[in-house]
Amino acid sequence: MTDTVKNRNHLRHQRNHLSGGLSGMFSGAVRWISLIGILAAVVIVVPGNPVLASQIRIVTTTSDLADIAGAIAGDLADITALSQGNEDPHFLQAKPGFIIQARNADLWISIGMELEIGWEPAVIHGSRNPRIQVGRPGYLDVSANVLKRGVPTRRVTRDMGDVHPSGNPHYWLDPWNGRVIAETVADRLSMLFPDRKDVFHSNLKRFKDELDRRMFGAALTESVDGDILWKHQFSGTLDAFIQEQSLPAAGGWYADTAPLRGVKMVTFHKSWEYFTGRFGMSVVAELEPKPGVPPTAAHLSHVENLMSANDLTIILQEPFYSRRAADRVARNTGATVVVAAGSVSGTPEATDYFSIFDLLIAALTNQQ
Amino acid sequence: MKKGILFFLCFCLPISTVFAETASQTPLEALQAGYQSFNPDISVIIDTFYHGDNSHDGLNHLFEEMTGFGHAHDHDDHGHHHGVDEGFNLRHLEIMFSAAVDPWFRATAIAAVDIHGAEIEEAHIETTGLPMGLRVKAGKFFSDFGYINAVHAHEWDFVDQPLVFQLLTGDHGINDLGVQVSWLPSLPVYCLFGVELFQGNNEILFDYHGHGYLPEKSGPRAVIGWVKFAPNLPGFHGLLLGGAYGTGTHQEQHGPSGDYNHWLDGDTSFWSVNAVYKYNAPKPYGQGNLTIQGEYFRRKKDITLVRHYNRPELEGNPRIEEQDGYYIQFVYGFKPRWRAGLRWEQVGLTNSITRPTGVKSDYDSSYRLGAMVDFTPSEFSRLRLQANLGQYETDHGSEDVFELKMQWMISMGAHGAHTF
Repeated sequence: MTDTVKNRNHLRHQRNHLSGGLSGMFSGAVRWISLIGILAAVVIVVPGNPVLASQIRIVTTTSDLADIAGAIAGDLADITALSQGNEDPHFLQAKPGFIIQARNADLWISIGMELEIGWEPAVIHGSRNPRIQVGRPGYLDVSANVLKRGVPTRRVTRDMGDVHPSGNPHYWLDPWNGRVIAETVADRLSMLFPDRKDVFHSNLKRFKDELDRRMFGAALTESVDGDILWKHQFSGTLDAFIQEQSLPAAGGWYADTAPLRGVKMVTFHKSWEYFTGRFGMSVVAELEPKPGVPPTAAHLSHVENLMSANDLTIILQEPFYSRRAADRVARNTGATVVVAAGSVSGTPEATDYFSIFDLLIAALTNQQ
Repeated sequence: MKKGILFFLCFCLPISTVFAETASQTPLEALQAGYQSFNPDISVIIDTFYHGDNSHDGLNHLFEEMTGFGHAHDHDDHGHHHGVDEGFNLRHLEIMFSAAVDPWFRATAIAAVDIHGAEIEEAHIETTGLPMGLRVKAGKFFSDFGYINAVHAHEWDFVDQPLVFQLLTGDHGINDLGVQVSWLPSLPVYCLFGVELFQGNNEILFDYHGHGYLPEKSGPRAVIGWVKFAPNLPGFHGLLLGGAYGTGTHQEQHGPSGDYNHWLDGDTSFWSVNAVYKYNAPKPYGQGNLTIQGEYFRRKKDITLVRHYNRPELEGNPRIEEQDGYYIQFVYGFKPRWRAGLRWEQVGLTNSITRPTGVKSDYDSSYRLGAMVDFTPSEFSRLRLQANLGQYETDHGSEDVFELKMQWMISMGAHGAHTF
């Protein structure tokens, strides 16, 4: 072993010795040339970047948007999500790394409704990217057409806590809104890159078909158009419609949540009302006394009384909230704490947008 | 000041009537209408604190007596003096307007009103549409050198400014009329370059008189260049490193109680390095967040005695002053909405004065240790308790001072975004 090392060193030494004179003479010049070379490479690469990258560069504020945008853009785009599902999207830092991601983006996609208000403006401003400034086609707030809940019906003041004047921003937890987001993204991409419009729209169709299949089951979606099923789901007439038309039984999330219909629960933050509202459940109280205000002992006692009086057995929360408050309430009321991903990558199993609902419904069904 | 209030009312009254009139519309429509009618984001900050210390003649006086850092010369033509009073202080009422002006420009105007009057804290226009990551900013603004200089007082993690900047750049930091060009090249890592030309008005660093024995020099009289670099750290970690160099005209006039008898003209140059590390914990309400931040700043004042009534033989000789300092601070979110911080500061590691007589003197350095706890009920309010323990080298020997501060500040109006 030592011999081999010695031999190798010896060989290297010999080679150094042989080339010593030549490299000694030129090493100074070589160093300068390589330095100039590196600088030149930087200069060439800098303006060349947009040309080199033939892919569409999309930056999204959340992992859910990245997943949906990925389904629409397919391999035409390089997509970066600035936050992962295990982070609270309200409280992100405008890191320089985010600014670098935004620097060359063709399209910036955000949830909007003030969810990212504390950091998004600083990233967009810092990026100096004219394409993605608010109001430009490269800036897409996907909340425009979604179904909104929690829109204040009276004048809002900050005495009410972190209330968003345009409504509750956690709307991606309604699969209908996932569908709307996909449509919005496809439309914007088609506008920005008209030559690839067909790809985006066929991807959109595939995404909607898959979402509808997950929602209503394969048998039903093969017999009836998804839009019609959603229309009946909205008006609460889906079961009657299926019976009337002698259609195959519903499957998917719709059928899976049948046993959960009418269930009332408590959640940590006011972030689940889109999900519960879509599937016939409801949220009676939050552990937060006001949105954005951490639980207090007095409020938790109030929640405990409410839960005991109404026989509520479920406390639902995202993984990034501390379990302490929920565990206390659970201990005093006998309820169960369900920790579920509210976003893609919130838990290791939450690998895509559809899996959020799969996991959530499975976890809640297990508690019933 | 009256004008400022009037201006403010003119803006706000129409807004409140918009809200009142549209109560019968759907709230969303009402709000959208409201947003459209008040184009600029408006916010008002009230920053008030209590200060107590056990210094002999008050902290302001002490800072002026600090060996090597004192500025005994008279500020005859400069604004009111800030500093803190024992007891209650209103740092200022800050009224901020900002908006996209049109597709090409963005503007910010900040008026700072305090009991002495109103002044323009910032009024700047910047480009938003330049290609290749370029941006031009002009007007009155904070220099983006270092880290804390451009951070507004209400966003500091401690009640007071780091000692090194208070002593060497003044209460306002470097905030001047000028133009800035900055460039964010398209690189895989964050690298931001900036050059700033300033008129050159800073009561300590770039003082300018331009009359009498002191030559008149047209602006810009100061130039600052800086670079910021941020390696791509994964996940919740962020790091920002920076370096800066600046130089500008500096003039002084001295004499017993405003009766000047000698004048100096030359320049001051400085360099600084800074680093900020932030761990942004995934937990809500700031729990688990950690910030470590430090800056080093060094100035060299190189001025020549142009006229001395009593010692004409010294005229033409240089006076050279070299001073430096640093601070390092840690702030940690130990509970939801609660943070604790510790700051260590030293000034005068290098602290020398070479007088026109040719005599060079070296002086000792001063230290300060600060600790704070703050509570942030919401994004819009904060309460803070801070204690400082300092040992200061003054012209009359060393003095130990204990300070206690209690701060309460709020922000009304638009929700500002935080830069890194």
